[in-house]
Amino acid sequence: MNGPKWIPALIIITVFQLISFAQVIFTEAGTNIMALVVLTIFMILEWVYAIVSTAVLKTNSPALEFLAFFLTGISLAIVTTRGSNTLLTQFIAVIIGFVLFLLMLRMIANVDRAEKFRYPMAGIGIALLVFGLIFAKNTNGAYNWVQFGGFSFQPSELVKIAFIFVGAATLEKIQTTKNIRNYALFAVVCVALLFLMRDLGTALIFFFTFVILAFMRSGDSRTILFSILAAAMAAVLVVLVKKNYVMNRFATYRHIWETPYGSGMQQTRVLTYSVSGGFLGMGIGQGKLRNIFAATEDLVFGVVCEEWGLIIGFLVAMSYVIIFIHSMRNAKGSRSAFYSIASCAAGALLLFQASLNIFGVTDFLPLTGVTLPFVSKGGSSTVSCWGLLAFIKAADNRTWEGGRS
Amino acid sequence: MNRINKRTRWLYFLAVLFVVTAIALFITMDVNANKWVVKEYNQHLYSGGTMIGEGKLTDRNGNLLVETVGRKRVYNSNAMVRKATLHVVGDAEGFISTGAQTAFKSQLTGYNLFNGLYHIHKDNRYNLQLTIDNRLSVAALQAMGSHKGTVGVYNYETGEILCAVSCPTYDIENKPNFNPNDPNWSGVYMNRFFSGSYTPGSTFKVITTECALENVPNILEQSFYCPGYYRTTSGGTVKCNGVHGNESFTSGLNHSCNTQFAQIAATELTNDEMDATADEFGFNKSVDVNGIKCKPSYCDFSHAYTLDRAWGGIGQYTTMVNPMHEATIMGAIANRSGSTPKPTLIKKFINLGNLDYIKADNARTLDDLLRSNVTNYYTDAKFPNLQMAGKTGTAQISNGLPHTWFAGYSQRSDLPLVIVVILEKSGGFGLTDAIPVANRVMQEALSLYV
Repeated sequence: MNGPKWIPALIIITVFQLISFAQVIFTEAGTNIMALVVLTIFMILEWVYAIVSTAVLKTNSPALEFLAFFLTGISLAIVTTRGSNTLLTQFIAVIIGFVLFLLMLRMIANVDRAEKFRYPMAGIGIALLVFGLIFAKNTNGAYNWVQFGGFSFQPSELVKIAFIFVGAATLEKIQTTKNIRNYALFAVVCVALLFLMRDLGTALIFFFTFVILAFMRSGDSRTILFSILAAAMAAVLVVLVKKNYVMNRFATYRHIWETPYGSGMQQTRVLTYSVSGGFLGMGIGQGKLRNIFAATEDLVFGVVCEEWGLIIGFLVAMSYVIIFIHSMRNAKGSRSAFYSIASCAAGALLLFQASLNIFGVTDFLPLTGVTLPFVSKGGSSTVSCWGLLAFIKAADNRTWEGGRS
Repeated sequence: MNRINKRTRWLYFLAVLFVVTAIALFITMDVNANKWVVKEYNQHLYSGGTMIGEGKLTDRNGNLLVETVGRKRVYNSNAMVRKATLHVVGDAEGFISTGAQTAFKSQLTGYNLFNGLYHIHKDNRYNLQLTIDNRLSVAALQAMGSHKGTVGVYNYETGEILCAVSCPTYDIENKPNFNPNDPNWSGVYMNRFFSGSYTPGSTFKVITTECALENVPNILEQSFYCPGYYRTTSGGTVKCNGVHGNESFTSGLNHSCNTQFAQIAATELTNDEMDATADEFGFNKSVDVNGIKCKPSYCDFSHAYTLDRAWGGIGQYTTMVNPMHEATIMGAIANRSGSTPKPTLIKKFINLGNLDYIKADNARTLDDLLRSNVTNYYTDAKFPNLQMAGKTGTAQISNGLPHTWFAGYSQRSDLPLVIVVILEKSGGFGLTDAIPVANRVMQEALSLYV
């Protein structure tokens, strides 16, 4: 019985969350009862899930989920300070995402059955993007938000799941030119639609994921080189056609200190406030970066550094590497190539997206306006992250042993 | 499956790339933290463009220099104090780059990488006590009169800087509307004591003497003849300030005889020896004052011809001297050890170690020689009760009247102070212009500290 190994890890996370949550629940303005209830439920759910999955279902090693819990806890603490409605919305997104995580594990439990879904999934993916392109309203220069009744969502976030699913399912089949071609076609359509939506960051993520998927399947560096070359040419074309929109984003790169009140505003604020907190941070809710536009979404990494301190900021960054390493280790011993490919692709996608975000807001890369997985506020993004996590979890054989016996 | 397993290994490269980049990012943050944190949009430190995160600056006696009151920086209530300490205290806008408010921003904001700015959020500001003395600074400003230039006083036992007055100056609470390009205001934002650099003139004879002590046996026993000029074998001439006739080495130094020093430099010393002594004395290196980098004094004889070296021996070659550096040279001699404490402006930072310049034997000899300048020539009457030693200078410059210098110190054990006075283009001599200023400031020090 190696179940208890996870207990110290979860205790550390719980202590971290108790300290974090206490700061946003018990404020100078009084006790935030709503937050007290919601965050307590969240911590209870963590323990219930850990106990049930190890002791009852015997799918041990919930380390992967713990990383997601750690990041989610930070996210919930930040949104708590934005008001009760924001907290509730985000918490519901976490629950939906978590349910999706469990549902997807069931759905892809049988590989043969799962592969039959690949064409419907491709159709749904493209349909979602087209739907988004038609109905999305311009939000900060990109057409990636759809208002639907009382709530809004980002179709492209959910398509990430379909993209990996279709990719893994198609490429798992014995390698034929037709399979690769079909998937390449699907990928090109997705990336093109994202470009039309002016969602450059997500388009890059999709392209990168495609390269990983293609490499995992073919292992052929020439294929990779060819696709990167093709993409580069396509990018040049896009830049030529939509010059201003793309170039404006890159003009600031590496020149943020020249325009601290203009296009370099977000990055300079992230850097200044990140170091203002020092190693130990200003305290949660005490930061000033939160007054800047998109602080809890795109710039959330800076909020973490400022309020929790640079040490926690670094640990958050490292979480994505650990998730990625998990995805590769799971892939290695996985019982099906479908799981292996999907796991690596999902891990790589999360790592790549985290890179674009963390290094984008700090001017190590051009700013592309993507969210930080699990931490940024946002329903679609949160749900999507949990869905992607299911691919990594599914590749871990231990996930199935208990269920099968 | 095996092939897929192999391919995952390649993906580890991505993980390594991410970790390396993340480490680079955090190192970049750590390295630039002090610079980034004080940006004027940082709402932890600034409110509507006014620095409110800095604490109080006081002088060595605890008298106010500047503090944050509400959302404003408020300076000492006395206009003379404000003018006399302007360049040391600096301004909130950062024009005066060596001013404490700018140069010691990190000490005054209390920012450190570990705790960040947490204390400001808790309304704990960091105060800083400087080593300067408001009263001595005012005395120095008054003694300078309308001259441009600088007066600095430095304690050669502790390294504390007691005053560093720089003119032109202004009252920061009533900043005049000047054009910085106007010659009357040239270098107004520069603290001349730290960042100035002047032709040394005869004050450099101290360096030439040290070089001779090192390289010429029995130089002190030699005698010289001054016909009013020195002529090199190739016919070049260095004019003397008088016709001194037969003289001993000491007498030549006392009277600041150009002939004697030009001759020693030209005939008894080499370029390498001159450069070696200058290096020994810390030329071509910046003196550090709590992180403020003073302008390095400059000396390079490597391409000097004999006549150049003759001029160089009397401080009229390409050599330039920084006033703070000159004060440390005097300190090393005053201590009779060849070493002097590293200068400091922050009261809690004393004993920062020593600047080790020359051999103790030579320092003792130079101390006696500089004292003899006063006893034999300037006279103690010019410095009542001070037991002064030192050297004057009248530095010829290419574009105007000469700068006048006095660099010296009191030998009194209860007044271990070096004083450096430079009056730009004052037109007279070190003896007539700079010495009275030095005396007035040192008399004030005597009445304040003894």
